[in-house]
Amino acid sequence: MTVTANIGRSLSDDRRKMSDEAFITLLVASVAVGLFLFASLLVPNFFQLLNMLNLVTNNWAVISLGIGVSFLLVSGNFDLSVGGIVALSGVLSVWFAQATGGANALSTGLGLPYWLAITCALGGALAIGALNALFVVKFRIPSIIVTLGTMMLARGIAQVVTQGSQRNTNLPDEFGVLGNMTMFDTSVKLPVAFMLILLLIAIFIERKTVFGRLTYWIGANPIAASLSGIDKEKHVTYLYLFSSLIAGIVGILLASEFKSGYSNRGTLMEFDALVIALLGGVAIAGGFGSVVGMFFGAVILAIVTSAATGMVLSPDWQYILKAIAVFLAIVTQTWALARRNR
Amino acid sequence: MTDHNQSPALSSDLAPVLAVKDLTKDYPGVRAVDNVSFSIQSGTVHCLVGENGAGKSTLVKMLTGALQPTSGSMNVNGSQYEPTNPQDARDGGIATLFQELHVVDELTVLENLTLGMERSRFGFLIKSKLEDRVVQTLYAIEPSIDPSARVSTLSVAQKQIVEIARAASSGASVIIMDEPTAALSEREVERLFAVIRRLRDSAVTVVYISHKLEEIFQLGDAVTVLRDGKHIATKQLSDVDGRSELIEMMIGRSVFQDYSPRGKISDEKVLLAKGLTNSVLRDVSFHINRGEIVGFYGPVGAGKTEIARALFGADKVAGSIEFKGHPVGRSPKEAIAAGIALVPEERRTQGLFTSLSIRENVPVMNLRRLSNNGVFRASVEHDAAVDYVNRLNIATESIDKHTEKLSGGNQQKVVFAKCLFADADLLLLDEPTRGVDVGAKTEIYDIIRNLADEGNSVAIFSSELEEVLGICDRIFLLYAGSLEAEVTNGANVDAPHILNVVTGGHVGGVQ
Repeated sequence: MTVTANIGRSLSDDRRKMSDEAFITLLVASVAVGLFLFASLLVPNFFQLLNMLNLVTNNWAVISLGIGVSFLLVSGNFDLSVGGIVALSGVLSVWFAQATGGANALSTGLGLPYWLAITCALGGALAIGALNALFVVKFRIPSIIVTLGTMMLARGIAQVVTQGSQRNTNLPDEFGVLGNMTMFDTSVKLPVAFMLILLLIAIFIERKTVFGRLTYWIGANPIAASLSGIDKEKHVTYLYLFSSLIAGIVGILLASEFKSGYSNRGTLMEFDALVIALLGGVAIAGGFGSVVGMFFGAVILAIVTSAATGMVLSPDWQYILKAIAVFLAIVTQTWALARRNR
Repeated sequence: MTDHNQSPALSSDLAPVLAVKDLTKDYPGVRAVDNVSFSIQSGTVHCLVGENGAGKSTLVKMLTGALQPTSGSMNVNGSQYEPTNPQDARDGGIATLFQELHVVDELTVLENLTLGMERSRFGFLIKSKLEDRVVQTLYAIEPSIDPSARVSTLSVAQKQIVEIARAASSGASVIIMDEPTAALSEREVERLFAVIRRLRDSAVTVVYISHKLEEIFQLGDAVTVLRDGKHIATKQLSDVDGRSELIEMMIGRSVFQDYSPRGKISDEKVLLAKGLTNSVLRDVSFHINRGEIVGFYGPVGAGKTEIARALFGADKVAGSIEFKGHPVGRSPKEAIAAGIALVPEERRTQGLFTSLSIRENVPVMNLRRLSNNGVFRASVEHDAAVDYVNRLNIATESIDKHTEKLSGGNQQKVVFAKCLFADADLLLLDEPTRGVDVGAKTEIYDIIRNLADEGNSVAIFSSELEEVLGICDRIFLLYAGSLEAEVTNGANVDAPHILNVVTGGHVGGVQ
């Protein structure tokens, strides 16, 4: 059969060709590099190794949240609750760990040992994730509505526990360790290491595991996925639990870093996590995107924000700059993909 | 009833309403339409046939302004026609009835007919003579549709007629119909044909695209055959020497094939269904033997898809289903694990991951083979894709091609590949050749026969009599959700009897 011969030949050509995902990731990475060079021209002392590293390390929290959010987006679901979970788990970890018998209500906690306090705080985070899964999967309510609700619920509980303020007294000494300890005799802090390890695990899951591929199938066509025997209910439940677990850990690490539980911590982080995923080429309709792309999306957002600060622009301008970056990035991606696939 | 200036008397046979000359459309690496010239006479039904990938869709897209030709010219009513968007096409008098309908369910028939033509004063809609005209148009082509009915209450066939009426009342002199009967039952097809004939009598030209050749002989005045982007012939149908000549022109080889009884089929019952009942099905019981090809035949709405989905566990159903002695029917996952796979009715929305490549589509139904302790075996995926592209003769230059860019027949082969990779012993095929070209159809039938010869069982759910008579060993006849009769296929099978049963006639003399 002549057809067979043709296929055999062109296949070897095609394995060298990039996938659309790789193409978009490369595009986003190039934009990040280009923006960095451009900002270096405008902002004095911007072009420094330390500054480059800071762009990533300062954003460990949002990048970590972006991992769970990206996986859910690829599966065709939103998670707007992660910012609220950050506040909730942080506040809970403080409340559970605070000693009993403080001077007032805000300095009196449950007096649990620290390990138990953070385990219970993670339980609270997972409960929000389970609630997301319950409403999205069982009751088939659109995820954007469900997670908007749980976002407010989580932050609301944090607000009640802190009485709208913060808890930062009467804490055991080990409370401040996790968020501030450095790793392997370097200045790399544990939260940054956490983010890096999480990124590597996520990339492995996305590229190399059946679990990762299931996420794409479900996002690309949920009906066909069900008719192909995929248990999408179970899978999406796992994704919500993972996302809330990551958010819970981020909340605990942030509370530890600042030695306080603050109900407004993580405000708007859910939107930053969504924005970096979209900047990184994750499709809002699902079925397309990558964690590496999301990472470079975060770098782009960080460059825009810090360059603005470096140019002594008033912080009031940050949102407008972010908006411009988002529009430009998404228009560029749509245009580039359409051109490539014409 | 229409706005066009030509009265029927003037539209002599020599006045082409639409003419294309040296039309060519190039894509990178592919010439989709290659130097095509032909003309269409006014007031005729002009059929356009060709295998998938022959260039029909590209040609239609150029006629409707969705694509611009690389070179060549088009003429409508004698004047140059260069549409750059669908609005230009409407202005030029060319309307299109796509496979996906563009009616608004929540509006009434009348509101749909005047949609986009409303006149307003100070932001308020005003009634105009327009309404009277569209009502008359609708009445002329299909008096049974109430203009004040909400479109959501209409059947697919009626919605289609509403769209045709909208095209006709907007003054279109040419209406292009792309596979209009794909979702219709045979009785609805008859009604559509009556509508088309009435349109022709009022000097509207219909360009009719269909894979069903019998429709073309029933309906067409002239036919244009395309193959590999080239114009093969434009002929009066009265000059065409039967199906075989048409098929030969389309594919350059003869594929017409009748049912030939296969060797002795085992009487080992692999599937037993008893008393299947739900909102559509009424107490349906049957069995399928090992290595057998059975057909479920009946019009749309008779319960074919419901049976397929019930066996596969996709819908809840009362009654019992046993496969190889074990109960199934609770979930697709369970069905696949037991060895049942489904090729669903709508391949684009239910069968395929159109945004993913062939390689990524093939392995989805067999995760066990794909997984090495949870790690994805990319080599298995790659080899499976290459294997099935070769075995099923999927026309593609690469396994990394997105399935949305494949033709209908090749998309369907990818869905087959998914099921074959699942190692199923029972394949449920719901309308397996709908919208598939003749060549791919034959190949799909060969695949089905080979599977059955290897000892697999196949159930075909089809609304095409030709299909079930061509391939099935045993045929179950369905009408309104109940299994009315069972027919063993063979040389002396009684086609009129079958048609009688599935249209609600009495069962009598069941073989």
